[in-house]
Amino acid sequence: MTDAAASGSVDKSVQVKLVLLGEAAVGKSSVVLRFVSNEFQANKEPTIGAAFLTQKCRLEDRVLRYEIWDTAGQERFHSLAPMYYRNAQAAVVVYDVTKATSLEKAKSWVKELQRQANPNIVIALAGNKVDLVHASASSPGAPSSSESEDEADDATATPGETPGSGEPESLRQVPREEAQAYATEAGLLFFETSAKTGEGIVDIFTEIAKKIPIEHILAATRGAQGRPGAAGGRAGSQTEGGVNLDATAKPKEACNC
Amino acid sequence: MSTISTALRNFKEPTKDQLTQIFFSIPTAPPNEKDAEKNPAEEIEKMDINAVLSLGVQGEEDAYAGKLYIMAPYLAFASLDRKSVRFSIPLSTIRRVERLNARAGIYALSLSTWHGAKIIVQLTSLRPTADLFCSLLRDALKVELQRGQMRAVKGFVKTCYSEALVSTTSQVADNEREDGSLISEERPDAAPRESTYHGGLGLKFKFPGDPKKLREASKIKLWTQYLRAHGRNLTLLRYPQCTRLVQVGLPNRLRGEMWETLSGSIYLRFSNPGFYHKLLEENTGRSTTSTEDIEKDLHRSLPEYAGYQSEEGISALRRVLQAYSFKNPELGYCQAMNILAAAILIYMSEEQAFWLLEVLCDRLLPGYYAPSMHGTLLDQRVFEALVQRCLPIIHDHFQEVDVQLSVASLPWFLSLYINSMPMIFAFRIVDCFFCMGPKVLFQVGLAILKINGEKLLQIQDDGGFLNLMRDYFASLGESAHPTSPDPRARAITRFQELLLVSFREFSVITDDMILSERRRFRSEIIHSIESFSKRSAIRNLKSLGRFNKEQAGLIYDALYKAMCIVPPPPDVPPPPSLISTSGEVGGTEEKPETRIQLRTFQFFLSEIATWARDERIVSNGFQRRIDREIAEHEFIDRLFFFWDSSCRGALSFQDLIMGLDGVMFNDLMENIEWFFNLHDKNKDGFLTKDEVLTLSETFLFIFRYEVGDAYLGAVSRFMTNAFEYGDALLPPSEEEPEKNEQGGEIPPTVPTNQPYLNLATFRMVVLADEVLESFFETDLSASFRLEPLPEMELPVSSSGLLGDLWSTIATDTNKKMFNMFTDEIGKTIGKHQVVHRPSIGRYTKLEEPKARESLLTPSMRHSASKSSISSISTETTKTVASAASTSSSTTLSVDVKSAAEKGQLPSSESGFSPLPILHAASLAFMERTPFAIDDAKDDEDDSDSELDAGENDDQVMDEVDAFLEAHDSGLTDADKEVAKDLIHAKPVK
Repeated sequence: MTDAAASGSVDKSVQVKLVLLGEAAVGKSSVVLRFVSNEFQANKEPTIGAAFLTQKCRLEDRVLRYEIWDTAGQERFHSLAPMYYRNAQAAVVVYDVTKATSLEKAKSWVKELQRQANPNIVIALAGNKVDLVHASASSPGAPSSSESEDEADDATATPGETPGSGEPESLRQVPREEAQAYATEAGLLFFETSAKTGEGIVDIFTEIAKKIPIEHILAATRGAQGRPGAAGGRAGSQTEGGVNLDATAKPKEACNC
Repeated sequence: MSTISTALRNFKEPTKDQLTQIFFSIPTAPPNEKDAEKNPAEEIEKMDINAVLSLGVQGEEDAYAGKLYIMAPYLAFASLDRKSVRFSIPLSTIRRVERLNARAGIYALSLSTWHGAKIIVQLTSLRPTADLFCSLLRDALKVELQRGQMRAVKGFVKTCYSEALVSTTSQVADNEREDGSLISEERPDAAPRESTYHGGLGLKFKFPGDPKKLREASKIKLWTQYLRAHGRNLTLLRYPQCTRLVQVGLPNRLRGEMWETLSGSIYLRFSNPGFYHKLLEENTGRSTTSTEDIEKDLHRSLPEYAGYQSEEGISALRRVLQAYSFKNPELGYCQAMNILAAAILIYMSEEQAFWLLEVLCDRLLPGYYAPSMHGTLLDQRVFEALVQRCLPIIHDHFQEVDVQLSVASLPWFLSLYINSMPMIFAFRIVDCFFCMGPKVLFQVGLAILKINGEKLLQIQDDGGFLNLMRDYFASLGESAHPTSPDPRARAITRFQELLLVSFREFSVITDDMILSERRRFRSEIIHSIESFSKRSAIRNLKSLGRFNKEQAGLIYDALYKAMCIVPPPPDVPPPPSLISTSGEVGGTEEKPETRIQLRTFQFFLSEIATWARDERIVSNGFQRRIDREIAEHEFIDRLFFFWDSSCRGALSFQDLIMGLDGVMFNDLMENIEWFFNLHDKNKDGFLTKDEVLTLSETFLFIFRYEVGDAYLGAVSRFMTNAFEYGDALLPPSEEEPEKNEQGGEIPPTVPTNQPYLNLATFRMVVLADEVLESFFETDLSASFRLEPLPEMELPVSSSGLLGDLWSTIATDTNKKMFNMFTDEIGKTIGKHQVVHRPSIGRYTKLEEPKARESLLTPSMRHSASKSSISSISTETTKTVASAASTSSSTTLSVDVKSAAEKGQLPSSESGFSPLPILHAASLAFMERTPFAIDDAKDDEDDSDSELDAGENDDQVMDEVDAFLEAHDSGLTDADKEVAKDLIHAKPVK
């Protein structure tokens, strides 16, 4: 019945609360969707307050169960965010590499997290939509037809953008080096990602998993394990589709569902 | 980086009149200019009167006692229990009013509406009151006739589906409407009505749910009967059966119109014809932050509904949301509004949806979608308090395992459950919500928790809570009692169980209770929102300068207070013509940031700098108070523009921080330089003669209330020295030619706008004077003081009768009047004394420090320079003299210290709050068994679908009856007799 029982390792499943933050339309929901179901499509569940999803991951001999809170990006929902990031062990702060202001917003989120959230929180900075700035890298592996379909479905894509039409580099407003330097300075994990191609998505969650003090969480939550209410009913269908975090190199293989 | 809003401070509790209007869903403010222009003399008085209502058809309904209200242009009635029977009808739909000739002593009116319904109201108040009411009614009807609203009715009702519904099934109803009318100029047209009614996307893309399962046909039949007998759209009379029919779910085709009617948005549409289309037209192609946000969410709004997979649906949704954001730019667009708009567009036209959205955002869900979302936060707090009261065990468990109720309940309220439940069920909740008001959201929320009570006690964290709720919502269509031996019990779905529990168990939750709970928590919520935005404003500063966070907080407080007093102008969007329609470039512009104008800055500075305010210490024998006024001086304006580093004519919080940082931490030399730069307008390192004069005036301004002549002397010495040195140091090349031209007698004159005095010289002159030196060394920096402001009184903190009383007594004007009054008494008894508080207050006695010896050697003095000083500074010395005379006459013997201490006690009483009493009372009221799992009654019967239509109808009615107990009409049998008699009564001649 419960996911813990299904995976056969009751004591090794660790619950990790992760929150996604970032300006509106940087692709937070798409990042989650890519990670959770390896899809890229219209958001079935509009984000009001926050959407809640779960995904199980294997890291070496551990099973992590990510509880992902995908928050609404609109500025006026900002004051609700503390409700979602409290007690979070990890946060992914997303910005859009084609929009400079989104990095500023990301920085302010990081500041807020570092001051207000759980002191041991692991924060990752993700520069999303990197497929738009190197058009050549986005096509291999994915047939062009499905790509255009993806584009049409992406509700949060910056409107009016036509990837692949002329000087793609000019779309980039945040140089990788700048964001990397900031991330290093602020002590964050850093990735450039594309929810559309899957690039870098699994890496975020892998690196977070490595960095999280798992033993610490285990000790803290052991008491709660095994109670029927603690594990959601939805997990059953997802046990099969868990992401093996050891296979990080090829995102396409990351999920076998 | 951030915006600062003082909007929450402007909240006012609705008045009693407004509450009545809200209850009757009548538009509270005239929404268009036509009404605003109306002559106030024509304004018809509001009045209410006791009355007994009965329908003009025998045997149809009971008579009900209640109150009849005239609130032009509406006539409204509510039965005593405020729920059984009510109507709000526009006066323009009343076609005939007759006084009935009945038994002696009975005063009754018969009203015929556009739809032919005859309403009989028996006015049970005293005769003169009834007469007054009738005359008011007559006047109001006349006004409506003059406004031509009567004529508008005919065209308008054609847009309502109910007309088509009633007329297709019966031509008789049409004929009944034919009787002429005393007031109406035109007779209702007998021609068949074309089907021009408004409808939603559902007409084309199908309505959600299976029509057979929803028993659409039976519902339509019942509604047709009801609407025929009780009026419809504008003239709907709401009898108990109406509520019951709503509770079993509105039929899809009628749903849009009924939402419109029940919520009252139909009145807005009726009184603002063409507004929606005009609004869209006027704003074509305009791009704002809201329109950008809307664009992002269009494809995320009920994407599973076929209509929103087509361009038609998407563009309708876009238009409605955009139109609303243009209508109410302050609110603009908030995520979740897309869900609401998408939902209602399935059932209604764009125009209908637009007005319904207006009613939703403005009246039904106040503050839910505002930029601060204070309404949402407030109602979440209220909901939590209700859970604590009604379901204490669940509440305690949530506390114990640290689960936050809002993670699940916030979207329930924000999207009216549409985002949480399968649509067919959510829409039935929305039906009840529009019919019975916002309390429904709370009732359903409590019922959800109660039904899942046992499972909820097992959850350990937020995630578990959400998963449980998700599973529950997914199972709403299943049987609530799948293992019951009774087939009728098995047939009850979980959703039916939910509604039953909502309206049975939680009928104690009333709209009044919600209102008073909101009052209880409002200031707490406002406070937390404000402190949150304060923290993020400080966090988002690019630089704190040399201030610590607390000091920055004090600066923020001063800024916030100033903004409350003089709000900055709203962010004016650039005119649409300036922006090209390709919004992408504009989208990457910097974020809006709150900036204050000069006027607000003056208030801000007066909080911080002692010399930027005029403080008069007034003692009149009764009280000793400090009257504070904002000083106005060119110097303050100068400071404003000096700090405006980005030259926008407005200052941000960051600018203020950096500006204060530039002066508050300075030592002697830095201060002198700062002061010099402040007056060096063109930043060339030289002051002109004009600027030297201005600078001297600044000195005089700052020192205007100082005791004694020390500063005055210092300033005049400064001027003498400045011009002496200035002339002495003038390059000789400039002097020579002038001497040659004008002859030896005339002194060399430098044009007053030419570079004259440099920093080094200025410094020398300042340091020559002990008073000025100490001013620059410590006093200038110290005159900027960051002191905690007294907690600002929230305008909303008062509640209840005492609170109202207090707030009416303790208004600013009353305080002023009291002050004036005591002043007058003080004057007559000779104790009135007004003293200006000095800004620096270094000298408390009349003692003039000695001037230092001049640093100039006599050889450096040009004989001519003296005349140069005198010629230029004549006017200034005059002002010095006059300033000296005024200040010395009043302020010679002040005990500054004690005055300053007393000054800390301004007359700011904290408002008395009667909350504890209210709280206790409502607690007692809510006291009931918290957790008795109810067994749903069997009278909720809707099992066999094979039964024929007639029986089916009965069953729907069974279900209907299950919802409401018998309604007490509040009448004795004798009264009912009278009411029945009236049906047959003849009109008076």
